[in-house]
Amino acid sequence: MREKATTLYIGPQHPGITGNMMVRLKVEGDTIVKATTEVGYLHRAFEKLQERRNWLQSFTLMCRFCVPETDPMEESYARAVEAIEGREVPERAKYIRVMVLEMARLASFMLWYGGQNGSLGLYTMGQWSVGDRNYILDLFEELTGGRVYHMYIWPGGVRRDLPEGFKDRALKTMDYLEKRLDDYDELMFENAIFKKRTQGVGVVDKETAIEQGVVGPVLRGCGIKSDIRIDDPYEVYDKLDFIVPTAEGGDIWARALVRRQEARQSIRIIRQVLDQMPDGPVYNKIPNPQKWTLPKGDAYVRTESVRGEIGFYLASDGGNKPRRSHLRGVAYAHGITLLENLLVGENISDVSAIMNSLGVCPPEIER
Amino acid sequence: MEEIKANLIKHIKNSFHTAQEVDFKGNRLDFIVDKQCIPSILTYLKDRLGYIHLSHITCVDWLEDGEFELIYIVWSPEEKIKVFVRTRIDRENPVMPNIDMIWPQAHTYEREFRELFGIQFEGLVAPDEFILEDWDGPPPMRRDFDTAAYTAETFFERPGREDAQDVRETITKRSGEEIPDFAKKYSR
Repeated sequence: MREKATTLYIGPQHPGITGNMMVRLKVEGDTIVKATTEVGYLHRAFEKLQERRNWLQSFTLMCRFCVPETDPMEESYARAVEAIEGREVPERAKYIRVMVLEMARLASFMLWYGGQNGSLGLYTMGQWSVGDRNYILDLFEELTGGRVYHMYIWPGGVRRDLPEGFKDRALKTMDYLEKRLDDYDELMFENAIFKKRTQGVGVVDKETAIEQGVVGPVLRGCGIKSDIRIDDPYEVYDKLDFIVPTAEGGDIWARALVRRQEARQSIRIIRQVLDQMPDGPVYNKIPNPQKWTLPKGDAYVRTESVRGEIGFYLASDGGNKPRRSHLRGVAYAHGITLLENLLVGENISDVSAIMNSLGVCPPEIER
Repeated sequence: MEEIKANLIKHIKNSFHTAQEVDFKGNRLDFIVDKQCIPSILTYLKDRLGYIHLSHITCVDWLEDGEFELIYIVWSPEEKIKVFVRTRIDRENPVMPNIDMIWPQAHTYEREFRELFGIQFEGLVAPDEFILEDWDGPPPMRRDFDTAAYTAETFFERPGREDAQDVRETITKRSGEEIPDFAKKYSR
């Protein structure tokens, strides 16, 4: 007997959803037959606001695009402004930027560990990893004054140099976190529930991945080696030694395997950066922000965040405000067309796990 | 890099005579084309030249020129070049060819531009609303939409918190407390 289809609304307020968006599911029994996403609960019109603010005031909005990952956005803005203006960045600032970006990646990995496991009802992991994330946030607080919003990587370099003794404290934290990652592996990757709930669930095949513009760990989880840090290197990534892990299968499990190794690579990069960092200035001073104008032109820069490629387009008409600022977040590709296709045929209880594994961050979609 | 770029320019120019190239430093190359060429040049780039990744689509409102500029940014993982395909359309009658059959993710961009810039995409099948809800005003991302005026008309300030009022003074009046010396220098 054919079961009657029912409509089920998940979100916008729901612990299983990754932010303020809604997924409208048409279900037959427990199986999803159609999924429709609805966004717009978090539209803050940042891009419009930026058109009314000067170049420096616009920068303060950048980190607010997506809360779990604030630094890639700041760095994108800084690099886009520098590209339009042709402003040089001191070498030391580039190393510090890479360190901050990788620390941000680690902090974001920690949140992902919690979210991915939490979506499957495994709450211990979240308590561990969010607790450990605080050690990274402590470093951020010392370096930038803020724990989540840093506003540290700005056009021309970074806001200030490393505090005294920061290197040792950062290295100590890295040693601690590296040990903790082993504990995480035991808790997560040797857990039968985690394996059963993730293997073969939310499968993206290679062709779909390329067709849908999939990026980051989701693409690497399909066995495609792609990373902006290697393919289109920025800052000093071309001078650093790290590998880009891939996995086969394209399911949640494969993405988790990729992220597990990437967290270790981030620690490796931070150690190298701290070791190789040259002395010198960290900031190429910008003019008076009220009078600061950029030449006419545009730039498109890309940054590899934890969830994949973040693109940022910035155009100047020769004035003291951006003509157009347009962010392309990871969720823009993953959160609508891909998610709607991927959910069909899956179980209701896996929606949250799939959204977490894709890295859907709704504030990026509507901005 | 230069060799790849020269080769690419040759290929594009052979097939699309009206395309004009603008070369940039690094791995960026721009092509300016007519709007009718957009689906064919993007298909050509994707299927024949390996530019398989649609990295971004953006729209810029050039109010003073009476035009919208649409920029399609594609990336080739093999050649490692970013190609910008740019076109300008009339602002009064903004109609663009649809490309969501080439890259499904373009669908999302097109929905957004339709709603926020008022650009119509021929043959786009999608729900009317994307980000905005019950919106019947002008498309809000257009440059001639004045956000500040709209806000002033639509919303009201809490009494005592109107724009350009000093919050400290209001609090002082309400509570009778003196502003401390260190805070006086911040008063407007």
